[in-house]
Amino acid sequence: MNSENLKTSAASAIVQLSHVDKEYQLGKVTVPALHDVSISIQAGEFTVIAGPSGSGKTTLLNLIGCVDVATRGQVIIDGRNTLELKEKELTRLRLDRLGFIFQSFNLVGVLDAFQNVEFPLLLQKTLGKKEREARVQALMESVGIAQYAHHRPGELSGGQRQRVAIARALVTKPRIVLADEPTANLDSVTGTAILDLMQELNRQGTTFLFSTHDPRVVARAGRVIRLFDGRIEQAGTESARADEASAHAAPQAGGQP
Amino acid sequence: MNTLLMIATRNLAQHKRRTMLLGSAVAMVTTLLVILLSLFSGMRTTMLRTATTLMTGHVNVAGFYKITTGTAAPLVTKYQGLTELVKKSTPGLKAVVTRGRGWGKVVSESSSIQAALSGLNIDSEPLFRDVVEVSKGSLDGLRDPHTVLLFEQQAERLQVKVGDNVTLSSSTFRGANNTVDLRVVAIAKDLGFMSGFNVYVHADSIRELYELDPNTTGAIQVMIKDANEAENVANTLRKAIEDAGYRMMDRVPQPFWRKFESVRREDWTGQKIDITTWSDEMAFMRYTLDTVQVLTIVVVSVLVVIIIVGVMNTLWMAIRERTKEIGTLRAIGMQRGYVLRMFVTEMAVLAFSSTAIGALLAAALCWMVNAAHIVVPKAFQVFLMSQTLQLAPDFGIAIRSLLTIAIVTTLGALFPAYRATKLQPVTAMHAGN
Repeated sequence: MNSENLKTSAASAIVQLSHVDKEYQLGKVTVPALHDVSISIQAGEFTVIAGPSGSGKTTLLNLIGCVDVATRGQVIIDGRNTLELKEKELTRLRLDRLGFIFQSFNLVGVLDAFQNVEFPLLLQKTLGKKEREARVQALMESVGIAQYAHHRPGELSGGQRQRVAIARALVTKPRIVLADEPTANLDSVTGTAILDLMQELNRQGTTFLFSTHDPRVVARAGRVIRLFDGRIEQAGTESARADEASAHAAPQAGGQP
Repeated sequence: MNTLLMIATRNLAQHKRRTMLLGSAVAMVTTLLVILLSLFSGMRTTMLRTATTLMTGHVNVAGFYKITTGTAAPLVTKYQGLTELVKKSTPGLKAVVTRGRGWGKVVSESSSIQAALSGLNIDSEPLFRDVVEVSKGSLDGLRDPHTVLLFEQQAERLQVKVGDNVTLSSSTFRGANNTVDLRVVAIAKDLGFMSGFNVYVHADSIRELYELDPNTTGAIQVMIKDANEAENVANTLRKAIEDAGYRMMDRVPQPFWRKFESVRREDWTGQKIDITTWSDEMAFMRYTLDTVQVLTIVVVSVLVVIIIVGVMNTLWMAIRERTKEIGTLRAIGMQRGYVLRMFVTEMAVLAFSSTAIGALLAAALCWMVNAAHIVVPKAFQVFLMSQTLQLAPDFGIAIRSLLTIAIVTTLGALFPAYRATKLQPVTAMHAGN
């Protein structure tokens, strides 16, 4: 994306990164993870960050998710420059504006499904008990896990756990949902069902940003940002999505007897 | 149920083995602490009750009578009026007794012993019967003049039994030797070193031995409800007696027998009143109690250190195991303070439940020990002033122990919990990947 396009889209962007570098310090060695990354994501997009392992997908997602800070550059989330926010404000930003879906679901093992979904609302402390419970109940019904409300994560299948995680990510009505390899630990049928669900939620207005190298996810993306060695290679084109899908599909097909 | 509390209890339930181990350790330390404090409290109660009843009272209103400037007799003349004044002026009064005092030789047909002599009116001694346990004869026998109560050890040395006669021999305050014949009416169980050198006779026998008139006694001993108030009560009495026109001796915190020489050198005659407390009269007992208290503090400190180290280690493990969970919770918007509260609550739940169990266990053990009337070794009896081990647990001790250990345990969790809050969400989330 050139700088002109960046300026044009910046006004309505929900996520805007400008010339972002991220380096990790391993002892005396500096390891670059992202270099000069500039992207702009609009509200309502269904965007995929794709690329091989080690390309910087998760790092980019972490910066956008405000769980990590850039070494250089500017990260603006929903109009707020994250570099200027204090730790407490960043945490509140994550709670109010962002939803997280993790590859390993990362549910709290000692809480049941209902309590896991309810937890961010308890942290927010903005809703009364009845309103809170009603919202959780409705959300669990919409993701199809209402009947498992009082099951703990250990008693649920991978797909059911991921649905709980999705409900948890959505319960605060975030502006953007970040999903790190959300289908990586799911079988293909469950993965497809989860993607169907996310797409449906996207159609209802939620912005999704995925980090993945699952071709099924890439194939559904409205936009693909491809990373290679910490740099953006291609972004936002249909051909990129097709290339990404075929790049992953080919070796798999070739592997078949 | 509060979410933090729910997470805490469920995490504790999930890690049963670790919870059981740490909980048992905390409960055991609490049990140990309650028993230790009960033992100290029991020793203090027993020693104080025995010593004050047998020898000094909590506050001792006594003094010296000087016939000439060079003499000193530990006497209170016209004691009845002073006794009434003491009764009226003592706050928190439990009992007032008068005792004749002296030092002499008790001689039997085959042996003799030196002993401190106490003359008492057994019917005016409400607490004496609670402390002295008669093994042979009866305390009622002391109602008659010319009678004596000996302790078992003394009776053995003198080779006498109830009904036998002994002779009391001493110098009068005028310097003449005098003797009184007494009949042994009771032999009591030993009470540590108190029973080694004290014999109790009818009050008139002391007067007869020292050729005193009926209006003279050795000391007015005041028992009060709270032994810790002895110093304040002594000050109150000092002022009241002085205001009533009595001449007072200067305040010297020493037992009466150490004042003979200095009083003999003083240039006055007649009566002066001296007021001391049990702690002045029996400094050795105060030292013993202080030593036991210091030992208790040392042991408690060691226990506290053990608990803190145990708690910190356990929590380090718990935090390491739950690093990913902490990262996730921080990522979804949990503030650092909440993470801290989450771990501290967990430890507080464990601490308060374990200490409560420990305190209950200790109370049960104390009750069993007391019910078993465990006879302590002779060497220990000397200090304890009792033949059996007495633990005195009370609600205050249990609550103090419970709160001490529970608070220490919870505080021990603070540092690891604080370190957990410092974990960066991104680092924590990817832990173990």
